[in-house]
Amino acid sequence: MKEKLQDLYNKNGTRKVLASLISILIGLVVGAIVVIAVGLSKDTITTQGMWDGVKLIFAGILSTGRNAAGVLTWGYNAQSLGNMLFRATPLIMTGLSVAVAYKTGLFNIGAPGQYLMGTMASLMIALSIPTSSVPAWLVWLLAFLGGCLAGALWGAIPGALKALLGINEVLACIMTNWLAANIVTWAFDVSNFKNMVENTKSGYVYKTSFNGVQTAKMGMDKLFPGSQVNGGILIAILVAILVYILINKTTLGYELKACGANRHAARYAGINDRRDIILSMAIAGALAGGGAALYWLAGNTEFYWSTYQSLPSAGFNGIPVALLAVNNPIGVIFTGIFMAMLDIVGVQLTGYTAYNEYITDVIISVIVYLSAFSLVIQMMLPKWKKKGGPNANAEPAAKTAPKPETEKGDKEA
Amino acid sequence: MDSEYIIEMLNIRKEFPGIVANDDITLQLKRGEIHALLGENGAGKSTLMSVLFGLYQPEKGVIKKNGEVVQIRDPNDATALHIGMVHQHFKLVDVFTVLDNIILGAEDTKCGFLQRKNARKKVQELSDKYHLAVDLDAKVEDISVGMQQRTEILKMLYRDNEILIFDEPTAVLTPQEIDELMDIMRGFAKEGKSILFITHKLNEIMAVSDRVTVLRKGRLVGTVNTKDTTKEALSAMMVGRPVQLEVHKGPAHPGKVILDVEHMTVPSKLHKNNAVKDVSFQVREGEIVCIAGIDGNGQTELIYGLSGLEKMSSGTITLDGKDLTKMSIHRRNLSGISHIPEDRHKHGLVLDDTLENNLVLQSYQDPRFQHMGFIRSSQVRDYALKIIDEYDVRSGQGPVTIARSMSGGNQQKAIIGREIDRGTPLLLAVQPTRGLDVGAIENVHAQLVAQRDAGKAVLLVSLELDEVMNLSDRILVMYEGEIVGELDPKKTTVQELGLYMSGAKRSGKGEA
Repeated sequence: MKEKLQDLYNKNGTRKVLASLISILIGLVVGAIVVIAVGLSKDTITTQGMWDGVKLIFAGILSTGRNAAGVLTWGYNAQSLGNMLFRATPLIMTGLSVAVAYKTGLFNIGAPGQYLMGTMASLMIALSIPTSSVPAWLVWLLAFLGGCLAGALWGAIPGALKALLGINEVLACIMTNWLAANIVTWAFDVSNFKNMVENTKSGYVYKTSFNGVQTAKMGMDKLFPGSQVNGGILIAILVAILVYILINKTTLGYELKACGANRHAARYAGINDRRDIILSMAIAGALAGGGAALYWLAGNTEFYWSTYQSLPSAGFNGIPVALLAVNNPIGVIFTGIFMAMLDIVGVQLTGYTAYNEYITDVIISVIVYLSAFSLVIQMMLPKWKKKGGPNANAEPAAKTAPKPETEKGDKEA
Repeated sequence: MDSEYIIEMLNIRKEFPGIVANDDITLQLKRGEIHALLGENGAGKSTLMSVLFGLYQPEKGVIKKNGEVVQIRDPNDATALHIGMVHQHFKLVDVFTVLDNIILGAEDTKCGFLQRKNARKKVQELSDKYHLAVDLDAKVEDISVGMQQRTEILKMLYRDNEILIFDEPTAVLTPQEIDELMDIMRGFAKEGKSILFITHKLNEIMAVSDRVTVLRKGRLVGTVNTKDTTKEALSAMMVGRPVQLEVHKGPAHPGKVILDVEHMTVPSKLHKNNAVKDVSFQVREGEIVCIAGIDGNGQTELIYGLSGLEKMSSGTITLDGKDLTKMSIHRRNLSGISHIPEDRHKHGLVLDDTLENNLVLQSYQDPRFQHMGFIRSSQVRDYALKIIDEYDVRSGQGPVTIARSMSGGNQQKAIIGREIDRGTPLLLAVQPTRGLDVGAIENVHAQLVAQRDAGKAVLLVSLELDEVMNLSDRILVMYEGEIVGELDPKKTTVQELGLYMSGAKRSGKGEA
């Protein structure tokens, strides 16, 4: 039994999962410490209040509110769980987006821009094709595909710049993000999709349900009554499985991975690395755009179109989702849901305690920091092993060049 | 007490996680001798020298100088003990002059200003005394590799070192430069300086050294007097079994022309000139044609031009009657080029992927290995097992071993197996034995000869003169991007080859 555990521990995958779990745990503990620190510095927060905050941080998703006596109650909360899954849907998609690009050695920080372009395309299609003449399910499908396509095009731009001109994709992505923010603002500003019916609100677009377009519930409303969840989460999970198959079972995935792990070797083998870089970014963009479509086509949220000063957090949060999942598409399902859970916890903190939701942002940032850090440790470990301790820092560069004596290093590893 | 030995390393043990790099090694260096340190890759030569130079601390053992125990904690301690080292890859600042490089770290200053005058005088004296011709005011980036090495040697002398370590000093030199270096080393020994000479070239050991210490797998095999031993005996000590030093091959039977290159010109990435200038040659089936030359004379770019990794600016390539000039790398691969690349880590392998995935790097689109775009993993596995078996590729976990964790020799075996198994009419082999030990080299040479005998055209690029002379049926010498001579290995000598390699001699024949 012990040997089996040792074997399991020695597996690369197990270590990655462990590293992520440790990051999460430390993140939650730090969140709890922040809660206590804030509590101690504020007179208005009692010891009981601090304790409630800590409990919510670890188990907020199972909170059912406060009873008449003002004590936190716990149990199965279908609404929270359903809302968590609803919020997880776009995070899973953007997480997949970042993960796919990463497999090809690209850092897709452009997910927010792709997400925005996907938002614009899917909303415009869903609102402009009259469901009186075209069946609503077809409009939904067109809007979803349109969102994917817009994201794909937007992702392909930094991909092409990288592949053809050698421009760093991170720079190009940052530029295209803000381009997208301004294009989307302008496009809705001159459109007639602005919500004029509820005149208490300004800067919002109609919900897609205004045109009768809504993601099918696929039974999710029965499972989680009272929540916003719909079939989108099932689609996202299906997409994650498809991405997993694409990456691990197909020749295209093989090419993308080869390009990512060693572009020189891929070129040597005759793989068209330029095409693959563009393709990888297009797929990444399609996933982010599709995530936006799944979120807005739910029909129960409205889009604030005047977005030129901010980028959607769902896009950026794809990065920690992918990082925590070590870029494994199946792992992304779980880390996406986890991130959404922190969201819900934030809401619970705001609703039931004197704390606000921003504490969960602290937790998220600590986790992101640690997950990036654990990745670094994972990368450093074999090197430390190879070099034989910190003494080796003084080793002359000659020994790291690929000349005869260096082969030793490979043997040792 | 005046000891016979100037430096003694007694019972040195150095461990790295999972491996003992030096296990109870004793090396005694006499005053005024040239002592060769011989061993395969990974035998522990470099580790031992790093211990002497203060880069590593040994777990056990002591170092004595003149019979007294000394502590060498870092390279500064080593310098204080007058131990100097010429590294295999020179440690010079490219944009500094030769003089500045020599005094760097041992500068004479007055009120923070460099006092170059005295330094120049001292360096000039040393240069004259030991016939180390250098241009003190030239920038390092502009001078030849040989002069760079002389600069490194002057650096050691400037610091009054009396124990000189040379780490594979001949790898980058022409035969003539090697002879000069040997003379210089003999001169040092006569002066009473002691030399440690790390190498795996047996000819040089026999030519210049007084004694040889042989290491194998981190252990001391023994120390022998050079005049009492032979090349064969030394290689057997090094590998642990008798080794075939000469390549056994019958006469070549060249058939029709397989590869026909005409007027190939490839631009350089490093400088404005073309790296390959209007080169034309042919390779026939059933022969091994070797491109010889000193590193950096356009061999790499020539191969890149052939494989498609670099675009030619003019010229044509014809393979077996097909025009490859405009084809992509992928289509050239399919049209019949196999390529054992120069840099197996950069081009040959995806190091972080598994061995089995690496073995189908070019052929993953072959219907054998995919169906409708889905990889047939069981077929890939079977194929990997076949290659592993046929080419004796050894690895920790078989097909699922991560390529990075394999030894250099086995990585190379995997690449050679993959390329040969593709069964193409042309095989490009670029420095196929680089970094391999004697036993592995023997194996690679036998494979290449077998390919030739099977009627393949083999184009070999090698920097090793022994390999060039032993393995090839025809030699094309490249110098500054041009083919300056075509030689018959049976009729030429290493010296003549060296003259062509250094540009001192050329014939119009090869360019025809």
